[in-house]
Amino acid sequence: MDSGINIVCFSASYAVALALEISRLWMKIPYARLLEILAASAGIVAHTWYLGRRITEQPAAPLSSQQDWFLLAAWVLAVVYLAAKFYYPGKSLGLFQLPGVLALVGASSLASTRPLAPEEAPRIWGLAHGMFLLLGTVAVIVGFFAGIMYLLHSRRLKRKLPPKAGFRLPSLEWLERANGRSLGIATLMMCGGLLTGVIARLAQQGSTRNFSWSDPVVISLTAMTVWLVACEVFRIIYPAARRGRKVAYLTVAAFVFLVFVLAAVVWGDRFHSQQAGKQTWRIENGNSVPASGGVV
Amino acid sequence: MKLRMVGCSHHQAGLDIRQRLAFDTTQVAKALAQWQNDLPETELVLLSTCNRVELYAAAAQDIPRTEELVTALARFHHFAPGELSGRIVSLSDQQVAAHLLRVAASLDSMVVGEPQILAQVKQAFQIAQAQQVAGPRLHNLFQAALHTAKRVAGETALHRHRVSIPSVAIAELANCVFESFDDKHVLVAGAGDMAEETLRYLREVGNPQIHVVNRSEERGRELADQWRGSYHPWNELADQLALADMAISTTSASEPIVSATLFAERIAPHRHQRPLVILDLAVPRDFDSAIGRELGVYLYCIDDLEQACDRNRAARAAELPAAEQIVREETAKFVADVHLRDTAPVITGLRAGLHRPKEAELERLFHKLPELDEQSREEIRQFADRLVNKLLHPPLESLRDASRNGTHHSLLDALRRLFKLED
Repeated sequence: MDSGINIVCFSASYAVALALEISRLWMKIPYARLLEILAASAGIVAHTWYLGRRITEQPAAPLSSQQDWFLLAAWVLAVVYLAAKFYYPGKSLGLFQLPGVLALVGASSLASTRPLAPEEAPRIWGLAHGMFLLLGTVAVIVGFFAGIMYLLHSRRLKRKLPPKAGFRLPSLEWLERANGRSLGIATLMMCGGLLTGVIARLAQQGSTRNFSWSDPVVISLTAMTVWLVACEVFRIIYPAARRGRKVAYLTVAAFVFLVFVLAAVVWGDRFHSQQAGKQTWRIENGNSVPASGGVV
Repeated sequence: MKLRMVGCSHHQAGLDIRQRLAFDTTQVAKALAQWQNDLPETELVLLSTCNRVELYAAAAQDIPRTEELVTALARFHHFAPGELSGRIVSLSDQQVAAHLLRVAASLDSMVVGEPQILAQVKQAFQIAQAQQVAGPRLHNLFQAALHTAKRVAGETALHRHRVSIPSVAIAELANCVFESFDDKHVLVAGAGDMAEETLRYLREVGNPQIHVVNRSEERGRELADQWRGSYHPWNELADQLALADMAISTTSASEPIVSATLFAERIAPHRHQRPLVILDLAVPRDFDSAIGRELGVYLYCIDDLEQACDRNRAARAAELPAAEQIVREETAKFVADVHLRDTAPVITGLRAGLHRPKEAELERLFHKLPELDEQSREEIRQFADRLVNKLLHPPLESLRDASRNGTHHSLLDALRRLFKLED
């Protein structure tokens, strides 16, 4: 069942939408907004088709491997972009969100295609773990972009610089609200992700004896979750931290933590894939299959 | 085309003359009714705004002379003879179309790109319609004007750049900070005209709670009542600033009414860095400029806003060539349409002139050939129709081409004479 749709198809569509958003800064393109929506919609349709095909071929997808996880996160972010395009048609949100979508798709090509401990972990906990982290990741990314937009917009207004044609941002009030909500949602999701990850590992191993807190992913994820919880506590006890630039800085810092987590997932993960020394995997028709006789 | 316009605008006449010549809506209706009696065969529309009074006239045959229309305008307002000489402009035919299209697109306004003129043009035509003095000729002209204005608004950014200080303050600053004004507190310090105008723009975008602080209680209460707000004594200025989301200041104080120290010590601690937009519209300034460095404070003085207005004026000027091009295109289209309509009676006459002999010849043929069945008769009829259409096609096409170029009059005369057509 090879439909010919691959990662390049939807990446190219998102790239076209981004190119249109960027070009609007310098030139007036007739029907630019419509073309952006069409390009992003085409990307989402191809992306959905691709993920759907993965599900039909491998029931554990779209959370069966790190690659799938990244692709699903990119899909959620692309849908958020398209929805924002309809709700806030005149704003330049795509300049910030589409690079995030493309970065996640790019990370997916670097990420492992090995199954995420498929047989051992109880499926329900594994699924919950993956979904929590995925939504938390999207919330942090959305918050990060809202934070960057807030800082840029606030800087322009403070310095009394003229608005640039074709580059319109939402109001500071809206961005501040988006920032705060993203931070709150990210905190809940990451706490849920960490908790369900521990539960999944305990259910898999039956005891905490082999639980490795020194794994780079676990360390970075725990640090990020602790940071997010600390941010929320800070915001509750210190009213100024709920305002403007401070929330923006908190979300930017949360994004830095996220980058470390994702880097650890892509390059340093032993914990989330099959145990080292057991099995090697290769890709066949888009599926992860055990390589015959491949022992590390 | 039989069109004429007489009137004056800010280009020809000063405010004193424009004020005396202006018509309110009731006067417009009354004047149109009066002129309808004097000029029964003429279609009329009177456009009267702060910056212009223009009387548009159209007729099928004899359009009133300029003097007649000027006299009509002058008599209504009891101007002495000759008082308007040199201050009235008169345009005819294509010039009228080009002028009205420019007026409706706001290219002839005192503040180019201001949006009110379009509504005023619409209203002028509606009043004339209601008085039954506007006929098909002026209907077509005003429809073309409204269409042109719509094109200019949609295809250029002429109307997007605001050029008055209050509108810039709201559209380019306050709207960038706040998503909605409905739950906001707006503090007005002083009761200057600029504050009132800013509040007017603010009410267009939301319904904030307005708090007025003024040294004169009477004037402060008056302003608060006018905008359904509340009045606070002058000594509550700092407390109200601590609560406000936006402050508009227009006092005539010679020293700043809020110093950086006062703000840092008495106001900032209560605000917790909540955003505050300050529009300091007073000269000299009411707020110490150092307050603008406080976190969450966006302080704009009148010079900052004036600079934004200048930028927008320049941006509007950059859009003018595109807008003028649209007006030229639409004027040419309107003129071509009018000419095409002029040719309609001749075209109808030509068709009728050939239709009659065709029918007579068919009748004669069918009479001679009674054995023809219905299908054959139908075929012959269609043949005759096609032949007539093909014979008519070249002259009609030439007529259309000539009407587009405005050179159709001689051709129309020739066709009338050749085919003995009557008007």
